[in-house]
Amino acid sequence: MGKKKYDYKPVPFRGSGFQFKNNYWISPVVFIIFLILWHVGTTIGFISNLVLPKPAEVLIAFHDLYVTGDLYLHVGASLKRLILGWTLGTFFGIILGFSIGLFSLVRAGLAPIVAAIFPVPKIALLPLFIIWFGIGELSKVNIILFGTLFPTIIAVYGAIDNVDRSLIRMGQSFNLSWFSITRKIVFPASLPAILSNFRITAAIAIILIVAAELIAAEKGIGAYVQMAGSLFAIDRLLAGIIILSCLGLIANWLIGFAEKKLLKWRNL
Amino acid sequence: MELVLKKVSKTYGDLLVLNEINLNINEGQIVCIVGPSGCGKSTLLRLIGGLESPDTGSIEARGTPPPGCLNPLTYIFQDFSLLPWRTVEENISLVLEDHSLSAINRNEIIESVLQRTKLTEFSDRWPRELSGGMKQRVGIARALAVNPSVLLMDEPLSALDSQTSEILLNDLIELWKKQNFTSVYITHNLSEAIRIGHKVVVMSRRPGEIREIVNIDTDIADRKIRNIELEEHLWNLLKDEAIAAERELENG
Repeated sequence: MGKKKYDYKPVPFRGSGFQFKNNYWISPVVFIIFLILWHVGTTIGFISNLVLPKPAEVLIAFHDLYVTGDLYLHVGASLKRLILGWTLGTFFGIILGFSIGLFSLVRAGLAPIVAAIFPVPKIALLPLFIIWFGIGELSKVNIILFGTLFPTIIAVYGAIDNVDRSLIRMGQSFNLSWFSITRKIVFPASLPAILSNFRITAAIAIILIVAAELIAAEKGIGAYVQMAGSLFAIDRLLAGIIILSCLGLIANWLIGFAEKKLLKWRNL
Repeated sequence: MELVLKKVSKTYGDLLVLNEINLNINEGQIVCIVGPSGCGKSTLLRLIGGLESPDTGSIEARGTPPPGCLNPLTYIFQDFSLLPWRTVEENISLVLEDHSLSAINRNEIIESVLQRTKLTEFSDRWPRELSGGMKQRVGIARALAVNPSVLLMDEPLSALDSQTSEILLNDLIELWKKQNFTSVYITHNLSEAIRIGHKVVVMSRRPGEIREIVNIDTDIADRKIRNIELEEHLWNLLKDEAIAAERELENG
């Protein structure tokens, strides 16, 4: 009688993939490769200079902007409008959003109007705003205010609707005042959604300021890009676009920083 | 304080959830309410604490709350209901902040309840860092902080694993031995009810009615971990309805 033979095999591991690992060095490497390809392509003529200038030329455009003081002028003008419009829009948006979220009478009155205006692309209102407020600062600040107001209202009252009812019940069961429940339960519970909405409104604000400055402005990044475009100065045009990208990144970073500070209870 | 329920009924839409509930909750007693799911036990508890109002009947609180009582009818919730953006200490502080207490007084209360629930070294932790059992300890500490006359517990141990819930049940029993609090304790766990209840109220479902009230005379301190005979008696009362409840469709 022969011994029964067994086939010994290790159990194969099947659980790999579908997980993100932190590879911090990848993105700078990709960026540098991209710059090299751009440089080589424009130098050997594979990419026409009419389409894309050399990276160095864009850098020179930046240098010129800085030396002439135009960088400060244009970025300063855009930033002023952005900060003013976004802050006002966010401020009123939060107040109105909380009113709609907390008082059924206000909700009945305002929610339909908000729902009707929200989907209108705010760029379409620019000509109207220029007629109403002139071609000066007021029309630009107002278009940003208007553009950030409605998404904020909707995000805030949506966030309030989503506050865990059982926490509010808990507050009531301990006889907390209405004001205490609002300040200590409803507000902190809706804060994450409000902060993540800031990312969206910041992007909207940048879109609208460029649009407004493209149409009618002497100063501002939009105006600079517009001028560069009509002069066919692609190097300057690209410099303007890179500034816009940086603006967006800085806004995003600031919001991320605020989230880290204000929502430290959420993650380590 | 003593609670008296007289002919309490409650309907949601067309659905009669509770039908003429008569119940006395005596001072210093723990009344356990058991019943199949959907029998309205949680609704009954919300009615008792004034978070909902009955359609007919009355719920009366008799007697005066003890001195230093900040919230006579106080809940302990199944899902703990802790604020995730407040630390353990701050969660307890929440229910004291609306009262005019000096900071020293408030800290004394917090320290005392943390110590009674064995949470002292966790006072500055976030809720997300705690195990389920620890979270419920915070819930209990928060309830004790307002020095309640009646503790209303809605399945306080149901979200915990069986070993943790055994530990917490023992702690509740210890606490009762020290403080003799009055309590309404909702549970679906029969052996839990037999361990901690002076009275076990068995409810039937749809409409929720009181089927039987079992008085347990053995001192809570002297009870064994299981009382199979009594458990079987309660189970026989509930079995058919539990089966029916399990087979029911949502909103049927």
